[in-house]
Amino acid sequence: MIKLRQIERDFIVGDQTVHALRKVDLDIREGEYLSLMGPSGSGKSTLMHILGLLDQPTAGRYELDGRDVTGLGDAAQAEVRRHKIGFVFQFFHLVPYLTAAENAELPLVLSGVDPVERRRRVAESLGALGLSQRADHRPDQLSGGQRQRVAIARAMVAQPSVLLADEPTGNLDRSSGQEVIHLIEELHDTRGLTLVVVTHDPEMGERAERQIHMIDGVIHEETRGRA
Amino acid sequence: MSLRDLPIMAIRVLVRHPARSALMLLAMSIGTAAVVVLTSLGESARGYVSDEFSTLGTHLIMIYPGRTETSGIGPGMFAGATPRDLTIGDALALEKSSLLAEVAPMATGRAKVSWGGRSRETTLIGATAAMRRLRGWTMAQGRFLPEGDPERDSGTCVIGAEIRSEIFGPRQALGQWLNVSDRRCRVIGILAEEGRSIGMDVERLVVLPVAGLMSLLNKPSLGRIMANARSHELMDRASDDIRRIIKERHQGEEDVTIITQDALLETFDRILAALTYTVGGIAGISLIVAGILIMNVMLVSVSQRTSEIGLLKALGAPQSEILRLFLVEASALSLFGALLGLALGVLSRLAILYFYPVLPITWPVWAIIAALATALVVGLAFGVIPARRAAELDAVAALSHH
Repeated sequence: MIKLRQIERDFIVGDQTVHALRKVDLDIREGEYLSLMGPSGSGKSTLMHILGLLDQPTAGRYELDGRDVTGLGDAAQAEVRRHKIGFVFQFFHLVPYLTAAENAELPLVLSGVDPVERRRRVAESLGALGLSQRADHRPDQLSGGQRQRVAIARAMVAQPSVLLADEPTGNLDRSSGQEVIHLIEELHDTRGLTLVVVTHDPEMGERAERQIHMIDGVIHEETRGRA
Repeated sequence: MSLRDLPIMAIRVLVRHPARSALMLLAMSIGTAAVVVLTSLGESARGYVSDEFSTLGTHLIMIYPGRTETSGIGPGMFAGATPRDLTIGDALALEKSSLLAEVAPMATGRAKVSWGGRSRETTLIGATAAMRRLRGWTMAQGRFLPEGDPERDSGTCVIGAEIRSEIFGPRQALGQWLNVSDRRCRVIGILAEEGRSIGMDVERLVVLPVAGLMSLLNKPSLGRIMANARSHELMDRASDDIRRIIKERHQGEEDVTIITQDALLETFDRILAALTYTVGGIAGISLIVAGILIMNVMLVSVSQRTSEIGLLKALGAPQSEILRLFLVEASALSLFGALLGLALGVLSRLAILYFYPVLPITWPVWAIIAALATALVVGLAFGVIPARRAAELDAVAALSHH
């Protein structure tokens, strides 16, 4: 479903050009569980941003579900994100003045879903993540693990086909981290969600069926098989 | 995002940042209230003045001695030669004009009036019986100066309510002999207290027969002659007639200045309208200041909410949506600010009415609409820069902003 060909991404820093990605080729099948690993500066986050259409490659071609999305305009890319891609971030990125339910509702609001339908789907989503009792809490009234669960509910509420998780446990204690990763894997197992996890933590990366190791902007090594 | 969700989202942002919103609402509402109240005051002053003039009747013509050719400022003020006197004889001649309903010769001066040990300086008016009809004065007690030959001093006088109470106290004033300078006159009437009468405080007047006042103060000329045309349509012809009669009597010299009520009213109206617009414009500046405050606070808010904007982009909000969201936020602020300002204006109006019941404050609809529209335009205009800054943020950079 995802096909990257000769993807390059250059950043201009001062008067130097930094090659964050160099001619990356990558195919991801529907329903695959993939981890992107590597030290910081290896290009794994940049790759994830390109996969999520948050960033444009300097060169190369990106096909999503058979459609070339590389040259799409802002509005068209936003629409792709809205319908196909869910994000989970290291720092949760919950809107501080909105309740858990309002945060989870945001993608549906942006898609123009009817309020009654929205409430039903948000309740369902929060319920599935064990957050029904926390729906009216603000982020600052929630624990780290709860916050990340709200973020997962938000990512899943619009039923995307790809979930991109950028260090989803990076800001959590060990047990909350475990809980979060199990929840994400469960979504992958039960719904056939394509899952891409970016991490520098080998223990977590090795849980994936397919592990991509990046160094200096290139795919250095690929390992298969769930540990 | 649906059109219904857009304002809901914007208002939710405002409600959940109460301090920030209150600050901007305050600025906006003060600006709006200033525009509405000041333009209303100006408009009311205009209404007040034109009301005042219409109590004098709209057919009024004033004849002043001296001809103003060099300037229009004041009668006789810049006339080259000493003007010929305007006399009671002139007034009598004008009475013969079929176009004039009333002719009231008038002279003014100041003198000391006293009775039984009490005295005070006050304004004296020399008049005839026609003056009361022309001014629309009513009597509280007694009667006004008698009809009869204006050249003759009947030795009577009419006084205002304040003079009556200050000079006579609780004693009966009618029939008493009031000392005016070095003469005496018999008080035959007391003027009713009037709410307002332009240019003259009726309560402090002593009205004497015009011939009496002229000889008392040794005045050779009338101050003016007031006349009333038979109808509003006859104003121009009446003015021409007056000019002709006076010219005939003054050896061919047209040495009087004729001012009609219309011309006077028009001048006042122009001045007050200009004043209203000026004051309104100055108040408008406060709206612009409010707009700049909104822009500032919104810019700060955009930088505080950078990661939130990055998130919205990641969730699939295109630039246009984020632009709309911030613009709706700015206009909601201005609109609520303006409405609050109108409420503030209503309160000020009540306050003004309470302290100055004389001034009938009106609400020009155009001022309300203009204030609301200006507030909205200001909010939108000053919202554009922050909104564009938000919309154009780079998603990746915004998300990594903490």
